[in-house]
Amino acid sequence: MVAKQIERSTASTPPRAWWIGVAAWAVPGLGHLLQKRWGRGLLLGGAVWGMFFVGLALGGHLFRVSGNDQGFSIILQALPMVANIGSGLLYIVCWLTNTGFVEQAQRVTYEYGNTFLLVAGLLNYLAMLDAFDIAAGRKR
Amino acid sequence: MRHFLWMALFAALTSVVFGVVVKGSDRHRLTYGLKVFGEFLAVAFILGWILYFLPLR
Repeated sequence: MVAKQIERSTASTPPRAWWIGVAAWAVPGLGHLLQKRWGRGLLLGGAVWGMFFVGLALGGHLFRVSGNDQGFSIILQALPMVANIGSGLLYIVCWLTNTGFVEQAQRVTYEYGNTFLLVAGLLNYLAMLDAFDIAAGRKR
Repeated sequence: MRHFLWMALFAALTSVVFGVVVKGSDRHRLTYGLKVFGEFLAVAFILGWILYFLPLR
């Protein structure tokens, strides 16, 4: 019965919902704006973008798995990296320009910055799922 | 005091997202967001005072 329900819900998902989901991940807030949910889009986008830039300003750093990481170290880098990647293009632009990947542990607000950056990505995953659900007709 | 402000900003931004994605009417979203914000602050105060009395040094 559960399998049938999953099959039905997958079959009824319009392709547009997947593109909305990708857009919502890539640019925080865009998924809602594309569906003319102006208020929600601006609030979500503003919160995620704001949290990301405050995190950078506080000296937080973004995570990535490098060739030097081995064994358990990879997990320690990969899990927060998944959270950071939730910020979408913000993360990719920082990665391409090598911005925000330098640790500034001497700064008092360093841990605050890390938390802001991690949570910005995680919140954008929530926003992405919300935009997807709206596009799929599962939510108003 | 500055640490408190950063924490309050974090709570505010997180509460905005939680309030927006929750199901329900706009009024429910607003009250839920405010409730989450208040809970963030309350838990931070409680944990702060607990840690203050713990002999961590």
